[in-house]
Amino acid sequence: MEWKKLGQIFNPTEHKLPNNCVAFAKSPQAIVFEEFIRIYYCSAEYDKSNKILCHILFVDFDKNFSKILRHCEDEVINLGELGSFDEHGIFPFNVLKENGIIKAYTTGWSRRTSVSVETSVGYAESIDNGISFSKLGKGPIMTACINEPFLVCDSFVFKDGQIYYMYYIFGTKWSEPEDGSVSERVYKIAMATSSDGISWERNGKCIISDKIDENECQALPTVIKIGNRFHMYFCYRNMVGFREDSNKGYRIGYAYSDDLSNWIRDDEKSGINLSKNGWDSQMMCYPNIFKVDQSIYMLYNGNDFGKRGFGIAKLIFK
Amino acid sequence: MFYWNKLGRIFNPKEVKGKYWLNEYAQAPATLIFDDFVRVYFSCRSQKNDRNQFVSYSAYIDLDRNNLFNIVNYAEQPILKLGEKGCFDEFGTYPFSPIRNNKEIWGYYAGWTRCESVPFNTAIGLGISNDNGKTFCKIGDGPILSYSPNEPFIISGPKIRKFGDKFYLFYISGEKWLIVEGKPEMSTKIRLAISDDGLNWKKIDEKLIDEKIDKNESQASPDVFFSQGIYHMFFCYWSPENFRNTKNRRIGYASSTDLISWNRDDKKAGISISEKGFDSEMVAYPHVFELDGKIYMLYLGNEVGRYGFGLAELKGELE
Repeated sequence: MEWKKLGQIFNPTEHKLPNNCVAFAKSPQAIVFEEFIRIYYCSAEYDKSNKILCHILFVDFDKNFSKILRHCEDEVINLGELGSFDEHGIFPFNVLKENGIIKAYTTGWSRRTSVSVETSVGYAESIDNGISFSKLGKGPIMTACINEPFLVCDSFVFKDGQIYYMYYIFGTKWSEPEDGSVSERVYKIAMATSSDGISWERNGKCIISDKIDENECQALPTVIKIGNRFHMYFCYRNMVGFREDSNKGYRIGYAYSDDLSNWIRDDEKSGINLSKNGWDSQMMCYPNIFKVDQSIYMLYNGNDFGKRGFGIAKLIFK
Repeated sequence: MFYWNKLGRIFNPKEVKGKYWLNEYAQAPATLIFDDFVRVYFSCRSQKNDRNQFVSYSAYIDLDRNNLFNIVNYAEQPILKLGEKGCFDEFGTYPFSPIRNNKEIWGYYAGWTRCESVPFNTAIGLGISNDNGKTFCKIGDGPILSYSPNEPFIISGPKIRKFGDKFYLFYISGEKWLIVEGKPEMSTKIRLAISDDGLNWKKIDEKLIDEKIDKNESQASPDVFFSQGIYHMFFCYWSPENFRNTKNRRIGYASSTDLISWNRDDKKAGISISEKGFDSEMVAYPHVFELDGKIYMLYLGNEVGRYGFGLAELKGELE
């Protein structure tokens, strides 16, 4: 695989955003319409305690990603009410267009005291082309279970044949540093299947092998089928030091499979790496792959977890 | 018609000395009957730490089968460990409900975690005992029954039963967090899930019991007992608007022939507060069991079991 970077296409700090959002356009994810591409992203408001609340916004581009056609006027989905799984933000937000309905798989954030956060996966639908979404209920469709004790999140859903496949992550560990510093999380990529897109079967297995060490954190899988082969891109990082030290921060990982269950990791073949300098020279994360006509694109975030936006690359060789 | 003849307080946790994890409270009694004794599981609170927080454990006492007022044994340690960092049961394993399953004893419990915007959240876990119910080993780090679109938080208060070849798990789910005098107070409702194996559950996904006070009424402790062809549910209820005014908790009653449709009729409950003593302000969290031809109810007294639980015997027919 070989990707040609087309550069950064959106910087949230250059626009006036709704819902008091001031920075971040994390986890860009696209829906392709006839005349334009709608890209959802997670932007951030700072609350009274100076903690981040992620809201889901969108921006519409022309099909060359050279021109912004429209900004959303308001967030597309409300945060949850008091005590709900998505009270403290939604990030990421995965979208799937099917029969005129846009289905969304949300990751809701809810703050804890002994650790910073717990997450679960929610479901919502839009019947107005993705401008507003209604939740199936106040609670999640997928949350911690016997063998997936916490941090179920980062869903990416697609349909192959009659079956829905979800790639997502779950937490395997919260660290307990002896020096009293904050607890850090470890999470891994897993797979679930469903016949209706709402009730999911899962098995608690981690499907992508570690490259760094057992504490490698794997996040935000995205899968595309080319020919008979499935290609997964995701991001991964070290458990600690990833915020300050570029060498420990997010990189793009790659794996492939012919049966959707067994994956062979081969980052060397990902065909995309950090730039020497510029907006994606320290970190690359939160990839989302999609097709526009006959072309395949990857949206992703660069330095600082997407604080200053996202860029795009085009697949030029497969 | 029936009523409950109170026999007195069975257990006062304040009288137990030397166990840091059993400081006060004896909540949610649940029984398991052995040849010579009746084991009563309950939940208690530890001493508070330097952040003024406690954790809840579950434990048991054994009562002489021939004289239930004679305590013959105490749990030496909590029956379940707390969860690992970040797990659903890091701050408590309470309440607890046991059932015999082949040679093992399975125990369903609510695990407690602490949150930022509301005080806590809970989900239901499972532990299995191979030492006659003295200790329970969790089957995994996560819960077996947790949140779903219509049951968004506070999955708690499990009561496990087996009727025919199916397992029934009665429990509560949070419907709303209210703000009362500036503080979050929960409104919970009684729910049901059904399983063939006790592990994989299908939720009915509906409220079982209509509210009596108002739509914010909180319900808990759905204790179901089968007698004379009818399922009888004793539970407790209160108004969360008066949550701290614990005097308002009472025992309610409903009956059903199919376990899913329930007719509430609190007038039939047959038990209320006493004029004085440990249950002069409150009776709550009932548990009904049968022993040697008699039917008994264990229940909590004042301040939701802070001073222990009492025993009552059924008079009349549960029909």
